[in-house]
Amino acid sequence: MSQFSRNSLPLQGSKPAPLVPVPLSFDRNWLQDLESRLDKGGPWGDWRLSRLAVQGEETGLITSFDELQCMKHLSGLSPLPHQLDTAHKVLFQMSGRAILADEVGLGKTIEAGLVLKEYLVRGLVSKVLILVPASLVLQWVRELNAKFGISAVAQKKTYSWGSDIVVASMDTAKRDPHKEVLLENEYDMLIIDEAHKLKNKKSTNYLFVQQLRKKYCLLLTATPVQNNLSELFNLITLLKPGQLGNQGDFATNFVVDKRQPKNEIQLRGELSKVMIRNRRGEGPVNFTKRKVRNIPLTLSTEEKVLYDGVTAFVKDQYQESGGNLSSMLSLVTLQREVCSSRDAVFITLVNLIKKLPEDSPKRDRMMGLLQTIRTVKTNTKAEKTLELILEMKEKVIVFTEYRATQEYLLQFFRDHGLMCVSYSGGMNRGKKDWMMDLFRGRAQVMIATEAGGEGINLQFCHHMINFDLPWNPMRVEQRIGRVHRLGQENDVIIYNLSTQGTIEEHILHLLHEKINMFEMVIGGLDVILERFEKTESLEKSLYKIVLESRTDEELRSGLDHIGESISELTEDIQKESEAAT
Amino acid sequence: MTLSPQQVRTQVMNYLEVTECTIIEASPLHVTVKLSPRADRMLTDRPYYWGFVERTGVEPETLSFTFVFDPEKYDSLASGASTQAPNRGTQPGAPSTDPQDSILARYFGVVPTQPWIGPGMIRREDVIYGSKRLLQIWSAARDEGKCLYLFENPGSRQRTTVFSAAYEPWLGVCYKVEMTCDLKREELHFVGISLVTGAIIDDFGTKLTQVELIPRLPENVHIQPLELTVSAGTDRLEAHLTEQLAALDYTWAEEARARLQLELSIIDVYYEELLKEPDEEKRLGIDEQYNRRRKETTWQYEPQVAVSAVTYGLFHLRST
Repeated sequence: MSQFSRNSLPLQGSKPAPLVPVPLSFDRNWLQDLESRLDKGGPWGDWRLSRLAVQGEETGLITSFDELQCMKHLSGLSPLPHQLDTAHKVLFQMSGRAILADEVGLGKTIEAGLVLKEYLVRGLVSKVLILVPASLVLQWVRELNAKFGISAVAQKKTYSWGSDIVVASMDTAKRDPHKEVLLENEYDMLIIDEAHKLKNKKSTNYLFVQQLRKKYCLLLTATPVQNNLSELFNLITLLKPGQLGNQGDFATNFVVDKRQPKNEIQLRGELSKVMIRNRRGEGPVNFTKRKVRNIPLTLSTEEKVLYDGVTAFVKDQYQESGGNLSSMLSLVTLQREVCSSRDAVFITLVNLIKKLPEDSPKRDRMMGLLQTIRTVKTNTKAEKTLELILEMKEKVIVFTEYRATQEYLLQFFRDHGLMCVSYSGGMNRGKKDWMMDLFRGRAQVMIATEAGGEGINLQFCHHMINFDLPWNPMRVEQRIGRVHRLGQENDVIIYNLSTQGTIEEHILHLLHEKINMFEMVIGGLDVILERFEKTESLEKSLYKIVLESRTDEELRSGLDHIGESISELTEDIQKESEAAT
Repeated sequence: MTLSPQQVRTQVMNYLEVTECTIIEASPLHVTVKLSPRADRMLTDRPYYWGFVERTGVEPETLSFTFVFDPEKYDSLASGASTQAPNRGTQPGAPSTDPQDSILARYFGVVPTQPWIGPGMIRREDVIYGSKRLLQIWSAARDEGKCLYLFENPGSRQRTTVFSAAYEPWLGVCYKVEMTCDLKREELHFVGISLVTGAIIDDFGTKLTQVELIPRLPENVHIQPLELTVSAGTDRLEAHLTEQLAALDYTWAEEARARLQLELSIIDVYYEELLKEPDEEKRLGIDEQYNRRRKETTWQYEPQVAVSAVTYGLFHLRST
C-alpha cells in the first residue's frame, strides 16, 4: 500500500480550476498553526467550544449585500423612519460617502451612528476617526457607547489615536504633533460633525481633511449653505471631487448670483446623490408645540429713574459723537443692561468710567448714574421670575445676556432656597458637562448666558425663561433649540420677560409679532436672515434705529419697517420653495 | 439571523459549562456565575491581574457575574418578588449603575468597562443578541476551540472485538468567505477532505455532528497512513472551494466595478482641468491629491473575495 510515494494521489478530473472573476485570496495562517501544533503534539482545542465559535459565526453572517443588519444588534434604540431611510440611502445608494444635512434637531448623530454600526457589523470598517467641536466630544462618545454599543474613546493623549474608534476635536487633530499621526493612518471611516466649518477650501481644516486617507466619509451639518453656493461646492468636492463638475462648470451650470442657484431641479438631482436633507416641516416627525407667554412688567420707580437716566445719557452721547455708530455700541448695551439687572449696568458703567481721562466732563454724569444705581434696591424681573419658577415646580432654564445678571440671579435664587446651577461660554468642557449633569439630576434651575451654539441638549426640560432677549434672532432660535428638539415630549413653554416703556418692549414686539419667530418651527429663519443681512446685520440695523430715533414714535416706525421687510422676505421664500417642489 | 433570549442562553451556558465555571444560580431568564480562572482570563480583560497571579502564585480570585438574558421579564419578576431591585444598565453589557454618574465618565465620556473587583461583588449584565459580551464569548470560544485533533468514539463494544478498527484521518476546515466591494456578503463552507482517499465532503460540519468526538485515541483502533500531507489536502480543499465559488453569481462584482469606473471617470474629468496648472509645485500637489483620491476610490469599491478559516483540524473517523 504505502509504496506509493506520498502526495501521489491523482486529482480527480484534472481539469484546471475555473476562475473566479474577482481577486480571490486564501488566508493560510491557520495551516501554519495546525502544522506547528502537529509537530508539538498540541495543545488542541475543545470540540464544544469550536462548535460554539461556528454557531457564533453563523448567526453573525452577513447573508445579503443590501439589507440593513444593524438593527438586530441594537436594543433600546428605536430610530425614527427618516433616520432609517437615511442610513439605508447612505449605505446602498451613496456607497458610504454622504453629507447628512438634516435641519437642527432631527438626529443627524443617530443617522451617522446607524451607518457606522452597520459598517462595523459588516466588518467593512474597523478604524474610525470622528472629528467634532471640542464641546461635543464627550457627548459623541457617550451616545456611541450607550445607544450603539460602539466602543468609541475620547482622544485625550497622543496614544489615544491608537484606539480603533476615536472621537477628537477638529482643532486638536489638525495641529502637530497629532496631524502627523493622523495623516499616516488610513481610516475606514471618517465622520465630521459641524462640517460647515469646512466651507472655506483655503482653511487649514479643509486642507487637513482633504489629506486624510479615508474610505467611507460622512459630513454632518445643519447648514450646508451659509452665505454662498460655493461653500456647498467646496463641501461636496471634499467628499467627492468632481461630483458637481469643476468650479467653472458649477458656476456656469448652477449659479446665477452667489446666493441664487439656477437650474434648480437639476442641481437638486445632483445634490441628492451626495446629500440628504430632512426638514422639520415634512415627514412624520412631530415636534411638540411652542407656547409663548409674554410677561409685561412695570419697572419700579427707582428702576424707571435709572432707565430714563441711562437712556438720556446714551442719546446725548450719540448726538455729541456725531452719529459714529461703532463707538456707541457699548452705550446701547448699557441701555439694554438696565432692563436686565442693576449689577450688569454697574459693571459696564464702572468699566467705561475707568477708560475715561481724569478730567472728562462725562465723568460726573456717569458718577451720577452710579449714584442712581445705588437707589435701586429690588429687581422687578428677578422677583417675577422667582414667582414663575415657584409656580411651575419643574425644571427650567433661564437665559440672560449678561454675566453680572447671571451671578445676581444665582445668588438671588439660592437665597430663596432654589437649587440652581450656572452655565456660560467661558467654562471649560469638563465644567460644562458637570453643570449639565447637575441640572439633569438635582438642580431645578439652570441659568445660562449662552445657548452654547452646539451641543447642549436639554430635552428633559420644557420651560425656558428669556430673562432678557438677544437682538439677533438666530441666537433666540438657538436658545429655544436647546429644549425644543427631537426627544422633547412636552410642549415647550417660553416665557419672555419685558419691561414696559423700554426698548425691550419694542424688540420683543418685533421678534414676536413681526417675525413671529417663537412659533416658527419650519426652520427657515436662517434663510430669511441671510437675505435680509445682505447689506447689514439685523443687529446693527437695530442699534442704528435705537440710537437715531428721537422719539418713541420714530423708534416704533423704524422697527416696524424692519419687521415688514422681513415678512416680505418670508413670503418670497415661501413662494420660491413652493415653486421648486 | 438573530437569536432569541433562549438561544443566547444556550450559547452562554454552553460556554460556561465547557470552561468549568461555577453556576451559583440559574433560571431561564438569567444565570449567576463565578467564572473559572480560564474563563476569567478570556472574559474580564485583566492581563495585569493575571500577570500578578502568575508571578506571585497567589490563589486567584475570579469575578462573578449575573448575566440576564431577558432583561424585561427578569426585571418585572424581580420587582414583583421584591428582591434587591436591580437598576437596569442603559446598554447591553453595561454595568448596572448609570455609567454617566461617575467622575471618570465625566472625563472620558464613558467608563471603560473595568470589572469591579472584590469578593461578593456581583455585576449584572444584560446579555442579548448584539451585546458585546456575547460577541466576546464567541471570540473566546474560537480562540480556544479553533484548532482540533479529534477521534470518533467507537463505543464500548470496540474494546472487546478482536479486530482493530481502521480510522481515516480527515482534514476539516470551516471556511468563511467574504465577498467585499463597497458592500459585503459572507458565506460559511465547512468542508473536509480525507487524507487517505482524497475524497471531499461539502457538508463536513453536519457529518461531524452525527458522531461523538473525543480527544483521545480510543483503544483497539488504528489510524490509516496518510496518503496526502495536510498541506496537499489544503491545496485540494482550496481548489474545490474555488470551483464552487466560481459557480456563484458575480453580478454584484460587475455592478461594483461599474460604480468604480463611474467614480473614477468623474475624478479624472475633475482633475484633468486642474492638472493643467502651469505652476510646477502646485501641479505636483494636485497630482498627489488626484492619486490619493483614485486610490481611496479603488479601496472603497474594488470587488474581492477573501477566504479565511474559522476552525480547522484533523478528525479521525471510522472508515466505511
